[in-house]
Amino acid sequence: MASITRIRACDYLFHLNVFRSSFFKKNGTQSALWFHSSAPKHVIELKMPSLSPTMTSGTIVNWHKKEGDTISPGDVLCEIQTDKAVMAFETEEEGILAKIYVGDDSSDVQVGSLIALLAESGEDWKNVQDSETSKISSEISPKPEKSNNFIEVSQQSEGFSKKSMILGPAVRGLLQRYGLSPSNILASGPRGLLKGDVLLHIQKENLKPVPISPIEKPIISSKTAVVESKKPAVAKATVKVQNLTHEQEYQDLELSSMRRTIAKRLTASKTGIAHAYNTVNCKVDSVMNLRQKFKNEGIKFSINDIIIKAVATALDLCPDVNVIWKGDQLIQPTTVDISVAVATNSGLITPIVTDVLARGVLEIGDAVRDLAERARGGKLQLHEFQGGSFTISNLGMYGVNEFSAIINPPQCAILAVGGSRLELGDGGKPVTVMSATLSYDEEAISPVAAAVFMSTVRSLLESPQSLLLGHRSLLT
Amino acid sequence: MFSITLRSLGRQVHQQNKSLAPLFTYSKNGLNTEASFDTKPFKLHKLEEGPSTSVTLSRQDALKYYKDMQMIRRMETAAGNLYKEKIIRGFCHLYSGQEACCVGMRASMRSYDAVITAYRAHGWTYMMGVDPVGVLAELTGRSTGCARGKGGSMHMYVKNFYGGNGIVGAQQPLGAGVALALKYQGTDGVCLTLYGDGAANQGQLYEAMNIAQLWKLPVIFICENNGYGMGTSVDRASASTNYYTRGDYVPGIWVDGMDVLAVREATRFAIDHCATGKGPMVMEVVTYRYSGHSMSDPGTSYRSRDEIQEVRQTRDPITGFRERMLSTNLATADELKDIDQEVRQVIEDAVKRAKSDKEIGLEELTADISCNPIDTRVRGVTAFDTLSHRRLGPAVNNH
Repeated sequence: MASITRIRACDYLFHLNVFRSSFFKKNGTQSALWFHSSAPKHVIELKMPSLSPTMTSGTIVNWHKKEGDTISPGDVLCEIQTDKAVMAFETEEEGILAKIYVGDDSSDVQVGSLIALLAESGEDWKNVQDSETSKISSEISPKPEKSNNFIEVSQQSEGFSKKSMILGPAVRGLLQRYGLSPSNILASGPRGLLKGDVLLHIQKENLKPVPISPIEKPIISSKTAVVESKKPAVAKATVKVQNLTHEQEYQDLELSSMRRTIAKRLTASKTGIAHAYNTVNCKVDSVMNLRQKFKNEGIKFSINDIIIKAVATALDLCPDVNVIWKGDQLIQPTTVDISVAVATNSGLITPIVTDVLARGVLEIGDAVRDLAERARGGKLQLHEFQGGSFTISNLGMYGVNEFSAIINPPQCAILAVGGSRLELGDGGKPVTVMSATLSYDEEAISPVAAAVFMSTVRSLLESPQSLLLGHRSLLT
Repeated sequence: MFSITLRSLGRQVHQQNKSLAPLFTYSKNGLNTEASFDTKPFKLHKLEEGPSTSVTLSRQDALKYYKDMQMIRRMETAAGNLYKEKIIRGFCHLYSGQEACCVGMRASMRSYDAVITAYRAHGWTYMMGVDPVGVLAELTGRSTGCARGKGGSMHMYVKNFYGGNGIVGAQQPLGAGVALALKYQGTDGVCLTLYGDGAANQGQLYEAMNIAQLWKLPVIFICENNGYGMGTSVDRASASTNYYTRGDYVPGIWVDGMDVLAVREATRFAIDHCATGKGPMVMEVVTYRYSGHSMSDPGTSYRSRDEIQEVRQTRDPITGFRERMLSTNLATADELKDIDQEVRQVIEDAVKRAKSDKEIGLEELTADISCNPIDTRVRGVTAFDTLSHRRLGPAVNNH
């Protein structure tokens, strides 16, 4: 039942033997089959089937048959996970499963790609394996032209966006349709090109619309986004804020590719990871007092720096939370590297403070300020924002009380820190309270481990001197 | 189960198919030219006498039935594959498992008898004279399709074949109408009107049966009972699953639809009945479909895979017929294998053409809408822009 094409193995044999080849051609293929019935006559290619109307690729969960097994009509060959469900892939063919190209647990197999070969019953299936494999592997080798193609297109689109003038949708549509560049057309509008200018130009030059090639469009939207996001630095600030006048009802804002990528990854994280949440309120008067005391002595650090130190210490005390995914494997790094969320014009980026345990609060502060500054200038190296075992996102400086963040895989947890506020404490005394919310991957971290971690963070922040104590300070 | 009559050992063997001719140089000797079999007993409703359960089969017919059934099976397999490659889009209902029904009925039909069926129409289209290219290219929407690629799966037509019909049960009264036309024209032609066990519960069938009985119309109402109306088994859908009795005042026959010979005999009997002015008849053909209801039904959520495999192994119309031919020495295993190869080749070539042939141009958008258009203007997007109607293809079934 698969997508099946037959290859006449006989045709292939022609290439091997010149004498036979000329002989067969004279007599026709039919007689060739008669004379050499021992050679495999037909090989049936089984291709990845589309088992749902919207399926474009799928996962082969497991094969029910193995190489050399006899196949009869109606047999289930393998289980395939489509975009909707796991379905049995049946065949209407008869023969021997000669070769499996895509084994168990193969994900993202494109519809129409070759997954197995079927030989006719009674044929030497091992023979089929050898002779067909080379032929088919050359057929399915990837086409290199693809990459060239999209670079070209991405350059083109970049050239477009560099233009400072505002192009309305009608203008853009016309330019695209007639393959024009806005710089070649005389602009008469207060902010650049008008639709009338383009129409006039088209009429003058007597232009015809260029035929639209169907492949261009998807490449622009998807591929360029991926390419640009790989650039280490924050891409040029693309959003230009212009004052809207009453003549313009709206203005098109360009979304940076970085934001698109972030959105895509966050959507995948939020939908694909079992997010669980855990909030604690910490009384941070001691930390505030400590900071003030040092400040009076001329030593400056921020509350955030000490939060980073406290979280790192807590991760050291509760190593069950200091975990990341490596593929399907959960691993525990030996150091604590903390990603710190930094807002830039084109989106959020998380540079890493490495080996926090080995750093003092002042060194942490220096590292954070240096990384944040370079992040805003778009000068971070790849290794400076990729990796990390835990993320802290602090929106306290904006007056946010409490929020929850989305886990950044392959990490398993992220701490969202709110601002401090005054509350009525024991005996009617005012206390400064800060809320922190942990989002964690419940597959990797148990709720109890998360709770122990959060209470450790709280106790470390409530009595910063316990940062000195080490492992025995862990609450029982 | 069957008695074998050996006759005419030395009789001249006629073989229409030239590609098989060389085989006869060594396979002629020792082969029978005719054999007789016993079919499963027919069940009768309001009939004194039924068709004969003892049937004779000539070697020539046997080879033809075998080839036709194989052709339909392979064609449907190819259609399923093309669908899974997303080359055939939309609706697609496969006939695999039910081949003996249309092949058996066609064997008893005369050239001027008519057929109208439901959406499972590929096999019938082939049997009524469209080659596999015509069927598969229609499914892929190419100009070489039997409706120039404009119809698709359920809309195939050819001389005396009034189509697959997409609306469940709608063909039942239409079939009675075709029978009325045949009678009105003064022929003794009969219209075979097919429907499934699901559509058998529709009210319009009983309205059509009533008028057909009243006016003694030459129509055979044929219920192809494959056990399931979409995903509902007959037991859950029908108060009475004896579909051959459900015409009440219309006589009925129950036939084993997995036996091409039984179907052929029953159809011959029914055609005789209708053509001699005795009015309509109901024929229940009990069969089985291997694939799901349509391509979007995996076909295993309402029945077990074991059930399907058991039917394949014990009741398959092609395997059963092949065994009969071999055991009565009507054909050799090699001969049948060669037919299989030839069928494979025909379907392979048809698939190639169905993939590569051209689609019709936009100018045919308004072509062949009516057979005899009175007004040749066709309304466009608005009432103010009209397109003109064109007549291109020959009008089939134009009286």
